[in-house]
Amino acid sequence: MTIDVFAALLMALAGSGHCVMMCGGIAGAFAGQVNKRQLATYNLGRITSYTIAGAVVGGAFAGVAGIAEHGLVSLRVIAALVLVCFGLYLGQWWFGLRYLERLGQPLWRRLQPLAATFRQRRSYTALFAAGMLWGWLPCGLVYSALSWSAVSGSAPQGALLMFAFGLGTLPSMLGFGWLSRQLQQLLQSLGFRQLMGAAMIIYGLWTLIIALRQLQILQ
Amino acid sequence: MSHALPLPPPGQCFHCLQPLPENGGYSVHLGGHDYSVCCYGCQAVAETIGQQNLLHFYQYRDTSNPLQVPLVPDELQQLEAYDDEQLQQQFTRQQDNLRSISLSIEGMTCSACAWLIEQHTRRLPGLVNVQVNATTERVQVQWHPDQLRLSDILKAIAELGYRALPFQSATQEQEFKKRRRYFVTRLGIAGLATMQVMMLAIGLYFGVVSDLDPQLRQFMWWISLFMATPVLLYSAQPFYVSAIRSIQAGRPNMDVPVTVALLSAYGASAYATVINEGEVYFESVAMFTFFLLVGRYFELLARQKAVSAAANLVKLIPAIAQQELSDGQINPVSVSQLKPGDIVHVYPGATIPVDGELLSDSTAVNESILTGESRLVEKHQHELVLAGSLNKTQPIRVRVTATQQQTVLASIIELQDLALSRKPKLARVAERMASKFVVRILLLAAATFLIWTVIDPAEAFWVTLSVLVATCPCALALAAPTAVTGAIHKLNKSGVLLRNADVLQVLPEVKTMFVDKTGTLTTGEFVLQQRHYYATARQAEIDAVTQALERSSNHPLAVPLQQLTEHSEPLTQIKSQMGMGLTGKWQQQGGGSVTVRLGSLRYIQQWHPQFEPRLPDAQVFLATHDTVLAEYAVGDALRPDTQATIAELQQAGIHVVMLTGDKLEFAQRVANQLGISEVHANCLPADKLAILNAAQANAPVAMIGDGLNDGPVLAQADVSMTFGHAADLARTAADVILLRNQFSAMTQFRTITQLARRILRQNITWALVYNIGILPIAMAGYVTPYIAAIGMSTSSLIVLLNSLRLYR
Repeated sequence: MTIDVFAALLMALAGSGHCVMMCGGIAGAFAGQVNKRQLATYNLGRITSYTIAGAVVGGAFAGVAGIAEHGLVSLRVIAALVLVCFGLYLGQWWFGLRYLERLGQPLWRRLQPLAATFRQRRSYTALFAAGMLWGWLPCGLVYSALSWSAVSGSAPQGALLMFAFGLGTLPSMLGFGWLSRQLQQLLQSLGFRQLMGAAMIIYGLWTLIIALRQLQILQ
Repeated sequence: MSHALPLPPPGQCFHCLQPLPENGGYSVHLGGHDYSVCCYGCQAVAETIGQQNLLHFYQYRDTSNPLQVPLVPDELQQLEAYDDEQLQQQFTRQQDNLRSISLSIEGMTCSACAWLIEQHTRRLPGLVNVQVNATTERVQVQWHPDQLRLSDILKAIAELGYRALPFQSATQEQEFKKRRRYFVTRLGIAGLATMQVMMLAIGLYFGVVSDLDPQLRQFMWWISLFMATPVLLYSAQPFYVSAIRSIQAGRPNMDVPVTVALLSAYGASAYATVINEGEVYFESVAMFTFFLLVGRYFELLARQKAVSAAANLVKLIPAIAQQELSDGQINPVSVSQLKPGDIVHVYPGATIPVDGELLSDSTAVNESILTGESRLVEKHQHELVLAGSLNKTQPIRVRVTATQQQTVLASIIELQDLALSRKPKLARVAERMASKFVVRILLLAAATFLIWTVIDPAEAFWVTLSVLVATCPCALALAAPTAVTGAIHKLNKSGVLLRNADVLQVLPEVKTMFVDKTGTLTTGEFVLQQRHYYATARQAEIDAVTQALERSSNHPLAVPLQQLTEHSEPLTQIKSQMGMGLTGKWQQQGGGSVTVRLGSLRYIQQWHPQFEPRLPDAQVFLATHDTVLAEYAVGDALRPDTQATIAELQQAGIHVVMLTGDKLEFAQRVANQLGISEVHANCLPADKLAILNAAQANAPVAMIGDGLNDGPVLAQADVSMTFGHAADLARTAADVILLRNQFSAMTQFRTITQLARRILRQNITWALVYNIGILPIAMAGYVTPYIAAIGMSTSSLIVLLNSLRLYR
């Protein structure tokens, strides 16, 4: 499973362009108002949310998968397909992942009112809590990663995987204000996102082939 | 916050600026207004931003350009110093209300950079024209100074990660050196490491045969890893930079597969070393980098050679001039401080620092820097002397008409830059092909990887790597630029200036060449060609009479007859008869005066109705009432070597046609002399255009003519050429300017063009054959990574060496 943890980290790094475009606004606008430690707390809250989600999803699916034979491997096929979808989304070839994002919508609607509670509060607890809320924003990249924690086989593994993913998002979010203008432009450029999207698709297809081999559908 | 936030262009998501889905997407309510967003994600983020009171983010971002991020680093502020008017005068040219400048760019790596800069700067309001030259690493910008500041242009370029500063030739040499050193150090390290790693690799190959001790094997792997690391991290840097730029521009170049191949080969080998299992290919990493760098280094040298040929010109202009002050004192000043109208002194043997009007009587100058012609040129009072030419004989005084960027020399250099930046079609095609090729290679490599994962997962990675390395279209990308710069360099050396590099491709296809007569085939000056005397003994007297009469005429035919002899004869009562000639009273030495007539045959035949001229071409006759004294044939002087050149062109199968506004009789005579069979005389510019148009229907045509008067005709021709009267360069309309006033430059031009085209075609053919040929072999898994590296490098080196033939 270590290789999957590493892949989750890479996935987040590859998706940096996406992160900067989507959440760069929050991070950038926020960074102007708080100091670095406060910003780190905010992001830590976000990663905590990811880790919790990873543990929940990982644990739940481990239970479900135990019922069927080859359950986890079959889920892997789905995870691979989600990754391909994410690659297509990142490269702006196909926006199917928007439907997946809709799944998170009800949860977010319920959490959103809480955000107002932490508005303008700058205590570390409040910042951490606000960060945790941030972590539940509907996001295609997070859901692709979650689909991987679903096949991780256990709650701790799922949590670890999502934690690694969260670390991968840090450079683009935490460093938003510090990243040079050139690097930001590179990350956001369509060419870069398409290249990363293509890499995601290949990785997805590769795991798909491996999974299919394990299921003995391919030789 | 009641006022609306700035909106992005229609059809884009308010939050992330990506395209909205077809159904219009979703909406978000912020600060009392509704905005369209593309997805729930953006909706949620936008709402969060609103709730956190962070709406100023939307207020101050630049929505016109998704690449833009609203932050201005401090160092960019320094560029504002260049907005100083006085400073700008030193390196900008003002034309009407437009200003233009040549900027040198640091950090350019490939044509993607050029594209990126062009696209990015074109958005600036008030920018009229921007042309990036990837070869010379220079940008020509034209802008409205009242709408846009120079520092804004510099900042826009800096935002992309390049450093743009006004071009100054003095710093160019340093830049070149810096650039060469950049490559040499990287090349040196790659070379040393490659040798070491190869030696170890050979040991390992043999070791495989004779069962190497596993511990020793791992030790050798670690050493190789140690050696290959600086190659990967330091030597290969140029490829990463170029790859990143090209990805940013959305036009992946060949450095993308190179980067992918290098990083993955190294990564996999390092992984194998750490877990002590599998295969290592450190020698391929080192070798691939080394060979690629060799290729780039040669390319750089070739480019610098072409560029410095032009830049050397400027270096020769002195920076200090001897200004004559109003009190007559002479004071050395910087050329940049001189204004039109100032007077400068130039000593014999010194280079003239400015364009100006000669105030002294005469001098001889060497204009070889401008024309490549090293013969001395006589200059008389009020004639123009040009910056960069060498004053040879007299100390002279010159009234300044232009300095620095406004001089003729500067415009020659600008023309060369322009030619280098306009790539011929074939080169553009090759470039586009290389770019498409890269995308396909990446796709094919991905397919190879997936297919091999199905067949044999253990091999998949290495086969893919070989595909990436072997098919790297380096040769294809090098094919055109090296040949084109080579050709331009060689042409410049022989005094042929190109404005448009497309000519290189079109000229060999030209089947018909139109030539203008006056000023092209001929020098445009009338000379005495033949004369005949009916009283041979009195030659000197007769010439003196003719001369005396002609001196009161301003007919063009009179000019060569005004300086016939030292002898003089007294003539009185000289009168002009409109359209006929001149008459006067000749006081003969033997006493007695006689009325003489000088003029056309008709005029003389009034006195001598039976007279038939001896010379078929004679137009001017001298007679008394009793007898005809002499006849003169005056004609256009042919340009030297015209005859041989025309013959040569005709031999090469080119149909030469004369187009002239002159009378048929004059035109026909020149045509007969040169063996030109098709002559169109009495042509108005519109007639010339019609004739040329008709011929153009069949095949491309070339026109060689007077750059100033034949403007429209030249513009219509597929290839237009003119002789360079250096002073008029800026106004001329031709694609090609023959700076040496020799017709034979035509032949050289043709030969070089044909050679260049042949080399260009060979290069592209070879590159395509290699790349397409190796692809299936590599995909089938028959090529190991290091064989692939050798194959790729050999193919690029072949292309480079082929292009270098042009520099001989």
